[in-house]
Amino acid sequence: MKTYWVAYQIALQETLQRRSTLIMDRLGGFAVVVSLYSFWIALIGNKATFLGYTRAEMLTYVLALNILRSFVFTGRGWQLVGEISTGKISSYLVRPLSYQGYALALDLAQKTVHVAAAFFEVGLLALLVRGGLFLPSDPATWILFGVAVLLSSLLFFFLEFMVSSLAFWTSESGGPLFCFELFLQFAAGAFFPLDVLPLALRRALEATPFPYMVYFPVRIFLEKVSPVEALRILGMEALWLAAVYAAAMTVWRRGVRSYAAEGG
Amino acid sequence: MTTLRKYWRIWLRTASMAMQAQLTYRLGSFGFLLGKMIRLFFFFAFMAAVFSHVETVAGYSLIETALFFMTFNLVDMTAQILFRGVYGARRTVSEGDFDFYLVQPCSPLFRMTCSSVDFLDIITIIPVIVMTGMVFARLPPLGWQSCVAYGLLMVNGVALIYAIHVLVAALAVRTQELESAIWIYRDVMFMGKFPVDVYAPAVRWALTVGVPIAVMTTFPAKALLGRLSAAWIIYAFALTAAALPLSWLFWRDSVARYTSSSS
Amino acid sequence: MAAAIETKGLTKDYRSPLKEPGLWGGVKSLFDRQYKDTRAVDGVSFQIEEGELVGFLGANGAGKTTTLKMLSGLLTPTAGSATALGHVPWKRESDFQRSISLVMGQRSQLWWEIPAYETFKLNQAIYGLSEADFREHLDELVELLDLGEHLSVPVKKLSLGQRMRAELAAALLHRPRLLLLDEPTIGLDVIMQKKVREFVKVYNKRYGATIMLTSHNMTDVVELCKRVIVIEKGRLLYDGPLDRLVERYADHKILRARFTTPVDPADLKILGAVIKYEDSTITLEVPRAQMAASAAALLRSYPVADLNVEEVAIDDIVRRLFTHG
Repeated sequence: MKTYWVAYQIALQETLQRRSTLIMDRLGGFAVVVSLYSFWIALIGNKATFLGYTRAEMLTYVLALNILRSFVFTGRGWQLVGEISTGKISSYLVRPLSYQGYALALDLAQKTVHVAAAFFEVGLLALLVRGGLFLPSDPATWILFGVAVLLSSLLFFFLEFMVSSLAFWTSESGGPLFCFELFLQFAAGAFFPLDVLPLALRRALEATPFPYMVYFPVRIFLEKVSPVEALRILGMEALWLAAVYAAAMTVWRRGVRSYAAEGG
Repeated sequence: MTTLRKYWRIWLRTASMAMQAQLTYRLGSFGFLLGKMIRLFFFFAFMAAVFSHVETVAGYSLIETALFFMTFNLVDMTAQILFRGVYGARRTVSEGDFDFYLVQPCSPLFRMTCSSVDFLDIITIIPVIVMTGMVFARLPPLGWQSCVAYGLLMVNGVALIYAIHVLVAALAVRTQELESAIWIYRDVMFMGKFPVDVYAPAVRWALTVGVPIAVMTTFPAKALLGRLSAAWIIYAFALTAAALPLSWLFWRDSVARYTSSSS
Repeated sequence: MAAAIETKGLTKDYRSPLKEPGLWGGVKSLFDRQYKDTRAVDGVSFQIEEGELVGFLGANGAGKTTTLKMLSGLLTPTAGSATALGHVPWKRESDFQRSISLVMGQRSQLWWEIPAYETFKLNQAIYGLSEADFREHLDELVELLDLGEHLSVPVKKLSLGQRMRAELAAALLHRPRLLLLDEPTIGLDVIMQKKVREFVKVYNKRYGATIMLTSHNMTDVVELCKRVIVIEKGRLLYDGPLDRLVERYADHKILRARFTTPVDPADLKILGAVIKYEDSTITLEVPRAQMAASAAALLRSYPVADLNVEEVAIDDIVRRLFTHG
């Protein structure tokens, strides 16, 4: 456990030291959020709601999105792909350490910094933009949302880990990961609430783990689902997490084996 | 003329070498291609879905919004085909490839910008051109002046993007870091997917005058639809005319300060 | 004969921001950044005639690579002047660039994933070589460097030695008149080192090319260079024939003696510095002037079976220059 704590601290310092990178990352993410928000506001125009979302709810959706991007979508996939392609991965495999645990510790450090920055930005935007935020009054909603986000974050981590592990076979390339990340952003609802899609397409997406990462948690936060429904969503999400975790570990083990067989 | 032919030859050779190198990672390349197609498809599906709920966005119809989106893609992808090498500028510098560029009789800036032509970009731009053609077919009849303005403003947009890439490349040569400079450009560029009119007035100004994303992506389509005044068209060309020499000056100054990474 | 290279007071400073520790230091340096100038090359002047093959020696960080980078036009000096083949290198005129080449042992211009031949074709386009010239030059290099079938294999599959030879071929396709070699044999095994050395010698002879070479491998220097330039902390320390360097800095000789019965090496300290004692054989380092006396004393007081006196090996001298200087 101590090893991972040390890894976390080192990664935290490193993230803080590379300030210019951090600032640029944040600015870039912020630009995306601003443009999405602007687009949605233009859609609402002077109507009261659009797709059942009021202005305040839309703003909240976009701001929650900014925080979720920082907390959920920050895996170590590209690092893993890089370490497989340069062969650096071998040096971890011989050490008495779980690579997943190590990567999770690094990821957590990244999340710490980015979530802090995201809250700062959200606070700033909430002040600047008219219309007000939607903040749920029922403490149960906050708890449900918190649990959902925690599960989402792990779900993303292992899903990304699984896809990145494919680099063991794909001749050292991030192609699958790139593809996965683009698909994920749309399917998770990180660009737009899935309500905009035709019903059939939405149903199809809801049968995948993707909407559990952004769309469902935000709907819980906005109290668009009943408490019972929220619990059902959390249950499904936990099941998905278990399945993805098992699959990721299987892919990882096979990957390591085939990697070792080729002699690195 | 001979210089032009020489640079054309070098570009072709580099492009073919990059393609051969990429093809050694067949599955990976396929993933990237698929990813790009998915992004395009989803965005289109998204637009179509949005317009099943509303008539217009910021005063633009579905087909007009599609025109903005397709124009964005055309400009953005052309720039990527031509200038992708800048994405790896920091690596080019830190791994010493830039040393070779400087010693050889060919503009190092040219070598840097075209050092990683991605043939997948060239493949992906084909459906974009086809889709743009389909959008054009659905627009009301256009005067030839609008079409000329559209074409010229697109070229102008690509030139402006070039100036930004030169700036980023110069920063990489100067500081040997700032890798993320190009990514912030990519993210801010995202704002160009929508017609600039959807943004709040302050943001709109920032995108037109500050970080001129709007000039690169929104102006051509606006001119085509006859919604851009002559003054703004002149502004767009003047901006590029100023930005290009400035970026070149900055580049030259950065190369003179180049310290080469120690081996 | 015209000088191929001429430098006068060539100087290069590197400027680096001073980093203060801690978060506050980091924030402070955002606004008020302090710089530190490090002088890598300090007023170096020398002249090299056309067709010469000169060794450029110095410890790590002495400024060798920086000097070569200035002479090839990569870096702009802080002060001083230089001409190479009649050009100011850092103006990077295309005539100049077409007649020089810089080879760095730790760097590669070859594309990793594809055969070296592709990079050669790219260089053909860059240097504007006609098809006939390209063929002729390439055939010659392939023969001299024994490259043969290696050209059609992806570079990443080549051994280090094969890659270095392909690297040389890529750098010499345009047949440069001035060649700057930075550690060309680094990391190679002994046989490959020899091959590269022989090639450098032939290239110098056959085309009358001027070559400046840095190496940590003293065999390279001893076998290739009649003249050496030594720099130390950026300053010129020695410029002249290699033999004279030995005379000037080798104030010691080596005395080696084998005894019939073991002796206590501690007793021999008065005769000179003991370098080694094993199998009843002693190796001593003795100042030149004292050599006769020490040898006589040894013969007089010890059971000597065999005795000989040698010059200090050239690598030792150079190595010592770098470590003590």
